[in-house]
Amino acid sequence: MKVLVAVKRVVDYNVKVRAKADGTGADLNNVKMAINPFCEIAIEEAVRLKEAGVATEVIAVSIGDKSCQEQIRTALALGADRGIQVETDGSPEPLVVAKLLKGVIAKEEPQLVILGKQSIDGDNNQTGQMLGALTNMPQGTFASEIKVEGDKLNVTREIDGGLQTIALNLPAIVTTDLRLNEPRYASLPNIMKAKKKQLDVYTPADLGVEPSAHLTTVKVEPPAERQAGIIVESVEQLVDKLKNEAKVIS
Amino acid sequence: MSELLFDLTLTDEQRMTRESVQRFAAAEMTAVARDSDEAAATPADFFERSLELGLALMPIPEALGGAGVARSPISNALNAEDLATGDMGMALGSITPLAFVNTLIDQGNQAQQEKYLPLFCGETFAAATIAFTEPRATFEPTQLHTAASRDGDSYVINGVKSMVPLGASAELIMVIAELEGEGPAAFIVAGDANGLASTAERNMGLRTLELATLTFTDVRVDADARLGESFDLQRFVDLSRIGICALAVGTGQAVLDYVVEYCNEREAFGEPITNRQSVAFMIADIAIELDAMRLMTWRAAATAERGEDFHEQAYLAKVFCAEHGMKIGTDGVQLLGGHGFCREHPVEMWYRNLRAIGILEGAASV
Repeated sequence: MKVLVAVKRVVDYNVKVRAKADGTGADLNNVKMAINPFCEIAIEEAVRLKEAGVATEVIAVSIGDKSCQEQIRTALALGADRGIQVETDGSPEPLVVAKLLKGVIAKEEPQLVILGKQSIDGDNNQTGQMLGALTNMPQGTFASEIKVEGDKLNVTREIDGGLQTIALNLPAIVTTDLRLNEPRYASLPNIMKAKKKQLDVYTPADLGVEPSAHLTTVKVEPPAERQAGIIVESVEQLVDKLKNEAKVIS
Repeated sequence: MSELLFDLTLTDEQRMTRESVQRFAAAEMTAVARDSDEAAATPADFFERSLELGLALMPIPEALGGAGVARSPISNALNAEDLATGDMGMALGSITPLAFVNTLIDQGNQAQQEKYLPLFCGETFAAATIAFTEPRATFEPTQLHTAASRDGDSYVINGVKSMVPLGASAELIMVIAELEGEGPAAFIVAGDANGLASTAERNMGLRTLELATLTFTDVRVDADARLGESFDLQRFVDLSRIGICALAVGTGQAVLDYVVEYCNEREAFGEPITNRQSVAFMIADIAIELDAMRLMTWRAAATAERGEDFHEQAYLAKVFCAEHGMKIGTDGVQLLGGHGFCREHPVEMWYRNLRAIGILEGAASV
């Protein structure tokens, strides 16, 4: 079974992100970049499927400018067999990503596509679902456990207040939640081997896609700074403030 | 090689390796270092978990089960530095088997490599160590008192070694001794050899690592346990020094990162204490000294990697890193004031660990 995994280059989750002074976006100057944590979980799951003898090949795909090859190499060091970069300017919106991934799926015909449920920069939580709609493939989102049984895939999903297990026909799309697995550290020998693995570069035109923007970022601003707290003198004063200032009780 | 006289750009592999090792250090070492220090014991599964990085596999030839990457003093220094950002004791423990492997590849013969290296390619952690330092005030790395003598087809070893990492649990111990009539030599001794006794040490720092004093009383080994034809002690000492310097740099980096965050948040007189020049200058000094330590260490490692004589660079780096590493430890405690003195914060632990840099492999002051 061929498994395709999408990985996105994002600001490292340890970095405190700052908005640019002009409000046009996040300041990415000299900021440490990394694989989106949910995508890393996706890679780990695919590699585990391969180690279990279920998957035969794991392909890591990333969309962006040349710098995203760093994240593809990291995915290769974590155990993916080969990589694909779809070259675009910057980081396109979810619909464009989904269309490009659809193009890659048409070329590679994977049995399983694993994506992070969302990326920690845009927090859109859309690409997997859009890809499901575009390809007409069944999807299991927010997966905390997956199990291949014959030509079916059982996906345990994290839903409000509990877990739901669904059975999908393969080929299928899965988006990962935090508890699916704990990704490994890239081992030093595998980092050295990653360099020798195949990495193909496609343009959107190669995949028959014209990247068109439907969204415009109007403004990016940091959350409002929290005001200093006060100590109230009586219960009456507290109730009054909750009622009339905070308006959280009536 | 770069045309530039002075190029510190990391290769893609070095950059990725640093990321992976730093993540490991943060998740598997920093988080458990305090408890481990209090308990004076390495966390039970730490060394098994460290196998995930495959440190010792790197220089081992592929035919013997390793990764077959040429041994690299630069990579070794970067790994030691990055591991030490998590904890110096555990870092020293995890690079100890690698030091054994590297020395075996550097100075051992083919038969010895084929015999011992596959042990490091298995699924379980192979504890191997090097017994080098000796417990006396005037210890000089090139004047060893541990003595070996030839007796028919075997060698007999007598002497005492101290501060041996993993000393009590090691399956294999490479002991460096003065061979009668020949000079320095290294022998591979089994951890359960007759005549070998170990005593756990209780030290000021490096408490997360088992350090032991090993006593060799007429320990007998076969002739083929002697490493190579002759042992280049100075080269061994110089390479070790680079490793020790890298440990100091990593720990110093942990101090710097911690004090910057603490002092920016800690307020006195209504403003962060970093607004006080006396505090800001002290932090700036740490950053400057740390960079100098790093550059001297990397220079020594790069010279060694090029195959040139690096004795002087390694020595200068060791003296500088010992002095300034210890100072960074002291300043870290000072910057946190009363908080630095108490065990709630890790700076007093780093201070105690950095103190070891001036002691390991012979005091810098002698």
